[in-house]
Amino acid sequence: MLQKATFTLSDGATLDDLVMRDSYEVALRVMSDEELYKLEMERIFAKTWLLLAHDTEIPNAGDFVVRDMGEDQVIVTRDRSDAIHVSLNVCPHRGMKVCTAEAGNAHAHRCIYHGWAFRPDGSFIGAPVEKEQMHGNVLGKDKLGLKKARVEVYGGLIFATWDIEGPSFDEYLGDMKYYLDQLFCRTDAGLEMLGPPQRFVLPCNWKIPGEQSGSDGFHTLTLHRSLMEGGVMGGTAESIYDNAPGMYGVDVSCEQGHSLRCLEAAQTFKMFSDISFEGKTVEERLHMLPPPGITENLIPQLFKNLSADQVEQLATIPPQVGGLFPNILVAFIFAPRTDGGSSGALALHTYVPRGPNHVEFINFIFAEKDAPEQVKRDMLQNSIQQTGTSGIIEQDDADTWPQIMRNARGVVSKDQTLKYQALHGHERPEGWKGEGLLYPGFTKDDTQWNWWMAYYNLMADA
Amino acid sequence: MVNYATAAVEKAGVMRGLVSKNRVPLGSEIYNRILETLYDEAAALDERRFDDWVAMLEQDLLYTAPVRLTRSGPNKDRDVMRTMMHFDDNYQSILMRTGRLSKSAWAEDPPSRTRRFVTNTRVAECEAAGEYEVSSYLYVERSRFDNPHNETLSAERRDIWRVVDGAYKLARREIIVDQSTLGMSNLAIFL
Repeated sequence: MLQKATFTLSDGATLDDLVMRDSYEVALRVMSDEELYKLEMERIFAKTWLLLAHDTEIPNAGDFVVRDMGEDQVIVTRDRSDAIHVSLNVCPHRGMKVCTAEAGNAHAHRCIYHGWAFRPDGSFIGAPVEKEQMHGNVLGKDKLGLKKARVEVYGGLIFATWDIEGPSFDEYLGDMKYYLDQLFCRTDAGLEMLGPPQRFVLPCNWKIPGEQSGSDGFHTLTLHRSLMEGGVMGGTAESIYDNAPGMYGVDVSCEQGHSLRCLEAAQTFKMFSDISFEGKTVEERLHMLPPPGITENLIPQLFKNLSADQVEQLATIPPQVGGLFPNILVAFIFAPRTDGGSSGALALHTYVPRGPNHVEFINFIFAEKDAPEQVKRDMLQNSIQQTGTSGIIEQDDADTWPQIMRNARGVVSKDQTLKYQALHGHERPEGWKGEGLLYPGFTKDDTQWNWWMAYYNLMADA
Repeated sequence: MVNYATAAVEKAGVMRGLVSKNRVPLGSEIYNRILETLYDEAAALDERRFDDWVAMLEQDLLYTAPVRLTRSGPNKDRDVMRTMMHFDDNYQSILMRTGRLSKSAWAEDPPSRTRRFVTNTRVAECEAAGEYEVSSYLYVERSRFDNPHNETLSAERRDIWRVVDGAYKLARREIIVDQSTLGMSNLAIFL
């Protein structure tokens, strides 16, 4: 089974000792090992495509936001020709941050230390006291720009990578594009970020939330038990494990490590349990129960922007939660409200490494740009109440992950394993239109194991 | 969306100051009663007496916590971003949260041990009779499990307290946290 060149840690452990492909186990020590963390920064975060921002955050020429690719800080800008650039926030002169604000607008970024200045596209303008040529006479001005990353904008989402010649963004998305289009590329005006992201830091390794983003559906039944007790999801506190709401659907995944859980609303939520799509056309279904974030006025746009097969899936068994490798969580969920409505909640998270022992959780909250203002207002509230810093779902995750981290440091505990042995195996459901690795039925460990295989492949590939 | 990357000077986003000029002086009867109410509220929350806390809330309550953003230039003092919040709650959703805390809310089960310090309290009369604008500083120490290092949070709270049947009840609270990136793992506690 072993072919690839890999690495050996100072205590002799190899990648195959950490990610055990024969037994579907991962050593808990991967969450705390500092040497491994350094390798991850080089082989994953300096290489693969990373989500940084949304283009509605920087609508005008000169607008910028500052974000992180691993531990490397970058400036995400829009120039006068509407092109988006991602440049390292490190002045080539003395290493100072060129931007000290999190967001702003500038047609020239002037480093506050010695005054070297750069355009939004990262190119060098000059140093003060031009006649003295304080940038020296060794390198020409064309060599003194900020280091640039390769950029791709997909559905308004701004991705970047340092791997200039590496796999294309389409290769990175692979078969998941068909499903992701249903979330990000379905309306004429697209998504809008409703405000700056929520940001908070958790004392745990980035892979603890990372592997969960590989579509861990099973934890919902127990960790998020309060959703069942609150009557939001089908069943009652007593019948949680008998009814197993939200567990049955089709998990879709791919060898790049991305995945999404596609769920029928009627099987998940109490308030939708009486809805029957039997004999209804796709359009009728969309009007009976629009997918999260879609309002009546936007339904015709779905047919325009997506294929008939994609619209049918969105109307019947929409993708709801999942993630993109390595550190993105997708939550485009039905969100029943205390006032009886349900306009959904659309959120993306990135889990940005902050050293081996910490991760920054960034919560991006969206609505469709052309949704009615009141719907946007409701959706903002839904997302804040369900996800992120105070969200009743994710506050339980945020309290669990640091405890796994604490265990990952024990000299005996670190050699325990995470087990992904409840596997279904790829199986194409009858009539399913999309591609990818497909897992119909009860949600199992397959998609998360695919996440670890994507991790293995990048870590093995020096 | 309000463009927070803009160079234009925003009118929103400012934090400082009580709006009303009609100050209620320190040491006056009303000031003392309100300060006492803030202390009672902190005790109810620290002791996890959520029913007592909810009894202090008005049914038209709005309870929010905008995010902060590090900005420079013309907007450097306009860093309270009310387009995005850490809390965006009303009376009903607070009941949903406190109801959850009585069941399987693992984020607070086992519970944190908390200590809320309320200081720098300033009070002014609102235009509506019997309503008071109350600005206070909040410092929270939160002890979790066996971790000897507390998580902490500092904030200014801008409240409106209303006299109802001789007691003061909370009608508005805006919590202005100081961190742009929170160092607290979650906000499963009330501020």
